[in-house]
Amino acid sequence: MNWDPLILTFKLALVTTALLFLVSLPLAYWLTYTKSKFKPIAETLVSMPLVLPPTVLGFYFLIAFSPNNFFGNWLDQTFGIQLVFSFWGLVLASMIYSLPFMVHPLQSGLSGLPNSLKEASYVMGKSRFQTLVKVLLPNIKSSLLTGIVLAFAHTIGEFGVVLMIGGSIPGSTKVASIAIYEEVEALNYTAANTYSLVLFAITFGILLLVYLSNGGYLKRFLK
Amino acid sequence: MKFRRFSVSLLLLAVLACRPSTEVKLTIAVAANMQYAISEIVEAFTNKTEIQCNLIIGSSGKLTAQIKEGAPYDVFLSANMKYPMELFDDGLTTAPPKVYANGGLVLWTQSDQIVPSLTSLTNKDVKHIALANPEIAPYGRASIQVLRNLDLHDTLVEKLVYAESISQTNQFISTGVAQIGFTAKSVVLSPDLKGKGKWKTLDPKYYDPVQQGIVLTRRNENRDNSPQRFFDFIFSEEARKILEKYGYSMDE
Repeated sequence: MNWDPLILTFKLALVTTALLFLVSLPLAYWLTYTKSKFKPIAETLVSMPLVLPPTVLGFYFLIAFSPNNFFGNWLDQTFGIQLVFSFWGLVLASMIYSLPFMVHPLQSGLSGLPNSLKEASYVMGKSRFQTLVKVLLPNIKSSLLTGIVLAFAHTIGEFGVVLMIGGSIPGSTKVASIAIYEEVEALNYTAANTYSLVLFAITFGILLLVYLSNGGYLKRFLK
Repeated sequence: MKFRRFSVSLLLLAVLACRPSTEVKLTIAVAANMQYAISEIVEAFTNKTEIQCNLIIGSSGKLTAQIKEGAPYDVFLSANMKYPMELFDDGLTTAPPKVYANGGLVLWTQSDQIVPSLTSLTNKDVKHIALANPEIAPYGRASIQVLRNLDLHDTLVEKLVYAESISQTNQFISTGVAQIGFTAKSVVLSPDLKGKGKWKTLDPKYYDPVQQGIVLTRRNENRDNSPQRFFDFIFSEEARKILEKYGYSMDE
C-alpha cells in the first residue's frame, strides 16, 4: 500500500483551501457590499464551476497552460513556471474549481449580518479592515467553517480536472482519486478498495464534524 | 389543450422507444488504439455481410471490467492478451483470445524545433515526454520497455508524464503540453491526424509486441453466427490490408 497519493491529496486540499480563503474573503466582501453594475456578472462567474463539467475546465486549462499558447508561453518565458503537469498547476485549477464552495457560504454569512453591526464599529472609529476581522468574521464563524470545509472536501473529491492536466506523476500530481481510477483500470480492485475506504472514512469524519458543530451538537456534547 | 398535446406526444415517444429493433446488430468493444482502423474494417464488414455494428471505444482495462460486470458486448478487441485471457479464465468468453495484429510504437511531436528520435528525448527543449500509463495501457508498457532497454529511463524519469490511455497521450502531444510522446502507429497514420507533426517508428526489437487480441463473449451462444463471421473477417485478406495500412503487422 502506497500512501503517497493520499498524502498528496490532503496536501493539495490544504494548500488550495488556504490560498482560496485569502482570495475568497475579499471577493465575498466585495460581492456582499458592492453596488456595482458588474455584480451579477461577477456572481455568475463565481458560480460557473458548479455548473460546468470538469472536462470544460480541464480542456481550457490544458489549452491555456500549453507552452504553444500565449499564456503558457508567457508564464514560461517570464517566470520559468510551467503549470501543466505540476502541483502548482493543480492548485490553481483546484482553486477555480472550488471557488463557489468557499465564496457562497462567506457571502451568505456576511449578507446575513445586520448593517448596524458594521455601522456601530465605524462610529467607534474602527477601520474597514479592523471591522471585518474583529467584528464581522467572529459573527459568521459557522459560515467560515462551512466554506473552509466544503472547499477542502470538494478539492479532495476532484477528479476530472486533475485527470486532464495532471499527468499522473507520482508525488506531484498523482492524487488519490487518480490512483483509484488507475487501480480499477488495472483490475487491482483490492488496492482501489483500500484507497477508497480511507477516503470514505476521512471525508465522512470531516463532514460529520461540520454538521455536529454547525448544529450545536458538539457544544451540547462537551458540556 | 396544450397539456393533452404534450401527453399524446409523450405517449407516442414511449411507444416508439419500446418498438423492438428488427435488424441484427453486433456490439463490438474496441481498445482505443484500434479506433481508426476498426471503423474502416467494420464498414467493409457491413458492406459484405449487411450486419450492422455498434462500436464501443474505450481502454482495454475499462472494457474488460465492463464485460466482467455483464456489459452487452459481443466481440472484444483488446490491445493486449492479458485482459481477454482473464475473461476467458473467468469463463466469460467462448474460446481463448487470438492475436490478429501487432501494434507499432512511434515517437510523435508537434514541435517544429524537435526532430523525433530517441536521442532527442534528452534535448533540453523537451520538457515533458508523454506516454500511456504502463500499469494500465499496453502501449505505455511498450514505451517503458524501450526506455529501459536503452538505459534512458532513469535520466528521463523527471520528464515523463503519464496519460490514462493512448487517447489521452495523443491529447497531450497534439495540444503541445508535452513536446514529444510515445503513441500507436495507427494514430499517426489515421486520416484525421496524417501529416500533423512529425513521427518516427521505433524499432520493434526494443519492446515486446503489442498484441491485439480478439475474443467472442459468452453472450453469443444463443444467437446467430454474426459474431463468428466478424471473427473470421478480421483474419481475412481484406481486413489484413486495412490493418497494414494503419501500421499494424501480422505474425506469419
